[in-house]
Amino acid sequence: MAILKFLLSYLSVHPSPLRNPSTSLHLSQQAPAFLSSSESTKDTQETWLIYEQLLLSCLRTGDDNSARLCLQRLSDRFGVDSARVKALTGLYDEATSNSRGELESVLQRYQDILKEDPTNMPIEKRRISLLLSLGRTEDAIKALTSLLSHSPNDAESWAHLSSLYFTQGLYQQSIFCLEEVLLILPNAYNIFARIGEVTYISSSTGAGSTDRTEAFEEAIKYFARSVELSEWYLRGWYGLKLVTGKLIQAKPSDGTLGKTESLNQLATEKLVQIVSKFRRNEKGWMGFDEAEVLAAKDLIDRDEQRFSQ
Amino acid sequence: MATVQAQTILRDPQLFYWILFPITVVMILTGVLRHYVTVLMQSDPKKQELNAISEQRNLLRGVNLRTNHNQIPLSSFIARKNYLVAAYNRGDFLKDPENKGKPPANPMTDPAGMDQMMNMLKGNMAMMVPQTLIMGWINAFFSGFVIMKLPFPLTLRFKSMLQSGVATRDLDVRWVSSLSWYFLNLFGLRSIFTFILGNENSADQMAQQMQQMNPAGGNAMFAPGQDPNKMFLAEAENLEVVGGQHEWVLDGVVDRLLKSRV
Repeated sequence: MAILKFLLSYLSVHPSPLRNPSTSLHLSQQAPAFLSSSESTKDTQETWLIYEQLLLSCLRTGDDNSARLCLQRLSDRFGVDSARVKALTGLYDEATSNSRGELESVLQRYQDILKEDPTNMPIEKRRISLLLSLGRTEDAIKALTSLLSHSPNDAESWAHLSSLYFTQGLYQQSIFCLEEVLLILPNAYNIFARIGEVTYISSSTGAGSTDRTEAFEEAIKYFARSVELSEWYLRGWYGLKLVTGKLIQAKPSDGTLGKTESLNQLATEKLVQIVSKFRRNEKGWMGFDEAEVLAAKDLIDRDEQRFSQ
Repeated sequence: MATVQAQTILRDPQLFYWILFPITVVMILTGVLRHYVTVLMQSDPKKQELNAISEQRNLLRGVNLRTNHNQIPLSSFIARKNYLVAAYNRGDFLKDPENKGKPPANPMTDPAGMDQMMNMLKGNMAMMVPQTLIMGWINAFFSGFVIMKLPFPLTLRFKSMLQSGVATRDLDVRWVSSLSWYFLNLFGLRSIFTFILGNENSADQMAQQMQQMNPAGGNAMFAPGQDPNKMFLAEAENLEVVGGQHEWVLDGVVDRLLKSRV
């Protein structure tokens, strides 16, 4: 019972362990112990979810043997023809392939599966990711658009499309996709912050100075909404401080800057609080991502330097 | 009669062991059995074709736009609204564009509809057969005497139902036969079933009744007998109506933020 409980509690504390290399490593180190224990044969929903997570994290850290075993057990339980198992098998093959030719054959396999059964969404998504790893970004965008034409409620795909457009520099389309995500998940504060970031970044390629200040103000509004929804959202406060700082710099002698300055001050206070409590390892404040806290500290120090000059 | 005197009847304490207990145990066991039989009898959800899925999800997209339109700026909302309204009116997402004007599919002939009706029928059967059997069993074995006294008073009309085997005129309605113990159990064992079988168990007839009464929330678009074209047109109208009031959530957000935090 012990290891199953431990893994479940670990996953509840770190709900997306693959975003962070250290959590992926922790998880994959537990894999051999879990696989050889007796609890891994329990047939509950949680067990299989753990299998999936272990499979993904083992592939990430290179533990191919444990990954193979996880995949084997999943396909024994759910059958090789299940849509999800097919997608995970494809993922395993992609990760363990050694040459471009092997990847192309996996891609061909996906196309064949989709020809037989066009509703297999996990395989469609795998195909899109494979196209991206092969470097065929435009094909990936086309495939994503066709996926979204029959399933416009898939927030994950809209967010993915938005990041693809962003890498191509198509900021307006990227914001369009993020707005679609908002229509599906209206309280997604991270999406508000992301739109703020994209607006701010797109302004740096914009034309005249009025465009830039307008873009700054819009970005500020998005960041403000994100922290309105989530009081201690580090990214939101960081964006707010950064863009308000830039706006103040851009319009130095304007009388209408009162609100912007108070926002800047508020953002600085919050960031200082987060950084100091995180660094003192206070209980309840350790949930932040360390890299983000360091970036926040950097921003605070830079602004202090500027003011003291 | 001037005052109703409290009527007391002396009861054999063995009543508990031989009647109340067995009826309850039998009902719990049949409930558990019914749950597992229902689970086993349910057929897998039928796979739908791509254009059917596309039809349902694009309708949902219109609903999402209507519900969350305040999250995006007015210009974005108007652009999307115009596109969707035009598409709905043209019938772009329809599964069978030729059937646009025709009446909705009859559940008898449409295979997808048949499946759903069979499922409902099976569920109802699983409910009714055990109920009838147990009632017959109780009437056969446990009739002809009163078993307990209800703690609350009832009107005379219940006498015939609750004192089925005992035909006396003066006996207080509070004295009831074992059939009423069956009815009490029927409604009361729900929490025990939740405890044993987890939350969504099929032994729960209350949930089934509520589902039947609930005026087609999510089931409307997926049940047969609904004309998708009409639903698209209705959704297009709804979108037009909503377009009048748009309050972008980002208007005044800075003021709200400063007011709440400083």
